[in-house]
Amino acid sequence: MNKVLSNKFMIALYVLPALILVAILIFIPLGLTGYYGLMEWSGIGAMKFIGLENYKEVIKDPKFWNSVLHSFLLALFSTLSLGVYLLISLILASKIKGSSLLRKIYLIPMLLSSVAIAQLWMKVYHPTNGMLNRFLSILDIDNPPAWLADPSIVLYAIFIPILWQYAGFYILIYYAALKNIPEELIEAANIDGATPWQIAMKIKIPLISGIIKVTVVLAIVGSLKYFDLIYVMTGGGPNGASEVMASYMYKEAFGSYHFGYGSAIGFFLLIITLVTTFFIRKLTASKDDVQY
Amino acid sequence: MKKKAITSWSLAFALISVLAGCSGNHATDAGSNQEETTISFMHLWPEGNSTAHYNIVNDIIAKYEEQNPGIHIEVEVLSNEQYKEKIKVLSSSDQLPDVGMTWAAGYLKPYVEGNQFTPLNDLLEGEFADLFVPGTVDAYTIDGKTYGLPLELNIAPIFYNKAIFDQYGLNVPQTYEDFKNVVNVLTENGVAPIALGNKDRWTGSLWYMYLADRIGGPELLTQAINGEKSFNNPELTQAAEETQNLVKADAFVKGFNGLSDQEAKSLFMNSQAAMYLIGSWDLPNYTTNEDVPQEFRDSIGYFKFPEVNENSDANSFVGGPGVGLFVAENSDVKEEAKDFVQYFIEQWGEQAVTKAGVIPATKVDTSKVDLHEMYISVLNDLNNASNITLFADVQMNPDDAQVHLDLIQALFGVEVTPDEFTKQHQEALTN
Amino acid sequence: MMKKLPNILLYTILIAIAVFQIYPLVWLFMFSLKNNQEIFAKSPFSLPEDPQWENYVKVWTNGNIGTYFFNSVWITALSILLTVLLASMVTFAITRMKWKLSKLVLGLFMVGLMIPVHSSLIPLFSMFLKADLIDNPLSIVITYTAYNLPITIMILLGFYYSLPRELEEAALLDGCSVNRLFFKIILPMTTPVMSTTVIINMIFNWNEFVFVNTFISSDKYKTLTVGIQNFIGQYMTDWGAIGATLMISIIPILIAFIFFSDRIIEGITAGAVKG
Repeated sequence: MNKVLSNKFMIALYVLPALILVAILIFIPLGLTGYYGLMEWSGIGAMKFIGLENYKEVIKDPKFWNSVLHSFLLALFSTLSLGVYLLISLILASKIKGSSLLRKIYLIPMLLSSVAIAQLWMKVYHPTNGMLNRFLSILDIDNPPAWLADPSIVLYAIFIPILWQYAGFYILIYYAALKNIPEELIEAANIDGATPWQIAMKIKIPLISGIIKVTVVLAIVGSLKYFDLIYVMTGGGPNGASEVMASYMYKEAFGSYHFGYGSAIGFFLLIITLVTTFFIRKLTASKDDVQY
Repeated sequence: MKKKAITSWSLAFALISVLAGCSGNHATDAGSNQEETTISFMHLWPEGNSTAHYNIVNDIIAKYEEQNPGIHIEVEVLSNEQYKEKIKVLSSSDQLPDVGMTWAAGYLKPYVEGNQFTPLNDLLEGEFADLFVPGTVDAYTIDGKTYGLPLELNIAPIFYNKAIFDQYGLNVPQTYEDFKNVVNVLTENGVAPIALGNKDRWTGSLWYMYLADRIGGPELLTQAINGEKSFNNPELTQAAEETQNLVKADAFVKGFNGLSDQEAKSLFMNSQAAMYLIGSWDLPNYTTNEDVPQEFRDSIGYFKFPEVNENSDANSFVGGPGVGLFVAENSDVKEEAKDFVQYFIEQWGEQAVTKAGVIPATKVDTSKVDLHEMYISVLNDLNNASNITLFADVQMNPDDAQVHLDLIQALFGVEVTPDEFTKQHQEALTN
Repeated sequence: MMKKLPNILLYTILIAIAVFQIYPLVWLFMFSLKNNQEIFAKSPFSLPEDPQWENYVKVWTNGNIGTYFFNSVWITALSILLTVLLASMVTFAITRMKWKLSKLVLGLFMVGLMIPVHSSLIPLFSMFLKADLIDNPLSIVITYTAYNLPITIMILLGFYYSLPRELEEAALLDGCSVNRLFFKIILPMTTPVMSTTVIINMIFNWNEFVFVNTFISSDKYKTLTVGIQNFIGQYMTDWGAIGATLMISIIPILIAFIFFSDRIIEGITAGAVKG
């Protein structure tokens, strides 16, 4: 039996098509990004090899580290919010009335494109006509903040739509995972008189721990390279207050025509993400990876 | 068993290659007429948001194709942001379209240095050159070679809402003192004086540029950008200080640093702010655009940025040519492309101003065309302009422009002092 | 009675969240029926005063929405098919087959998650140019497939680990081939998670525009998202038309979502019966 499952030809047949595709379309561009980072290049015309100059400069660039900090804050908040999504999924997956309808409604925002989400939240945050400030003025709060203009608030203000945008994605994954748990296990616990809370903590969550780890990695990687809403809603501003690694890279490569320098930032983004993921995997690796 | 697996795989690949095949042969299916020459042309006026521009372009192309049998113009249309991004990627592989659109000065520099655009000087030898408003072509000229021919020309006046001004008994300010008074009266009455969307940053730059122009004289800013004078000089610093004084006097709408120009425009167009400094490209919204209520359009006027001191000249404007046409250096049909560019510009001017409300960079005979009075007035101002300072972010190299724009946002956010503002400009411009 | 109270509280919260989540769709619909003045001046909660149905007419008659729509559908569908199939095969090989390099290969796919899209644009463009795939929808299909493979594999992984091994052992003892085991036994058992990945891929592909914009230049191959961009202007943006385009683009995905969302449940029930 083992022979069948260790047939080299079959393994190659199953793995290689995908691997070749990823190698050509992702790894070659990644390698080229690292290579362009060694060049002084506007993106147009001739390149000039300058060794590690760009990389050295990135390390000394306070704007870059500022964006790194913001990206990590986003990663932190994204990871913490997973707990909320898990809770919502637990409720949705339990047999409460109307859960099927609720589940579909909860996932709707996920279907919207970033263009729509950005427009919606720009309306929410509009300093004078926005929903949020109109609501605050009903509560008699004088002079509510200009959410996207105030450098001390803008970063957190923009995290909210980002987290909200991805809520549906994680709820969908958790929901499918929870539904995948064999009924018998939960029924057995029910018979033993366990409370729903106990069942969730002692049975459900441990059983989907593999998926939870995957989502942690996805949340962190996704946050560290996040670009869309930030670019549309604030452009990284005001004055860099909401700049993240990917938006800074884009500005340098496509705005300032420092394609070499932008590539070096992109390469650092990759390294930082790799190292972070490695530590997260180490941190969450447990001896008793649950398999049932 | 192996065989079966292999067949199923080759089937999958066959499917893919069929798809590739049936879509990859578009280059050959035009070949009924062997003499056919194709000129590829990219522009940034999609039907969706610039219908009038789009139709004029199609019109010109149709006429050109009719007059030049055997020539086919292949058009690709992208909206602004996407256009800029795509041009950048295309030029990295020397794949620019034969004819496309570019901006002036600093924007075209990397493309010229990267040998992407071809000089168009030969077109300008004959009478054709006389079509242009004097000076407009210069903005596309580097070391005596002209790489683009402009389609638009703009100046930036301050538009204001007469209804609001009347309500508070305000008159068009003649001096900067008057202007500050207007701001004060409006703020005291709880009206936002100026709509500004400084998320886009070039919008705030307009304000700073005018203050620099009025305080230090029309030439100063350009000289500082060219390196003929230091940017870190008292007058440019004072202009920065005046900018911050306006911010501190609450002259600009709340949260302007987080608002886009579109959002700011909307505030002005809903009478939620009394003034709005923007390029004359916005004129249709205040004159001929039927989507804007007549009542609002009638209540809008404009004035020149007022004089601040004895250096000031109210006839000096911030503005300059907008997009222009380039011909790619790598084009296989350079001569045909140049001919098309010339034809396009000859046809563009009159149609542009009458149908799309665009002030062209070619001369307009106001006696021949029927225009809204505000257009006539702006065209007269253009004719009488003592100086037009090209938008700072267009003048500068792209990387300096980014520094400038970031500093503008910081200046308006009172995150840098006026002195740091000019010092950091000087540093960026000199290295 | 005392027991009911927490339930009421729970439902209040659940419904509040539901309102919060469904509101964007309602907002988008109302947005699509307003003109620019209303959109900016009036409260986002307000109903359109004079519903501008012509926004929809404008969008439909303007340019090539029909072609864009068709392209969006087939490009999305083909990419999903390729991605989910290839990802399932890889995941199967990594979790079920025995080979030394499996951990390394999995690591390689994970690295694929980490590339920021914009640093791949210029390299991909020059590669497609050399392969003569510029302005060919195949470039879009394979790019979508490659860029979604890593995340799809990651999601599948957790589920594959949890599949009971007894089943395949029995099958293999019966002399079942690997292909039969994968296509006839494993794939049907993973319907719920496959449906999940289909939904996720569908949303990513349907809403993507950077790649289409860069690699495609002919109108006949462009997709719906490009249509949306066409209404965003430099000087004037037609927000009502953008709203209408967004509504038109969201309807098919909403229907497909509801369909696949039900497959998640059905798949689980079916799997349970078989198991």
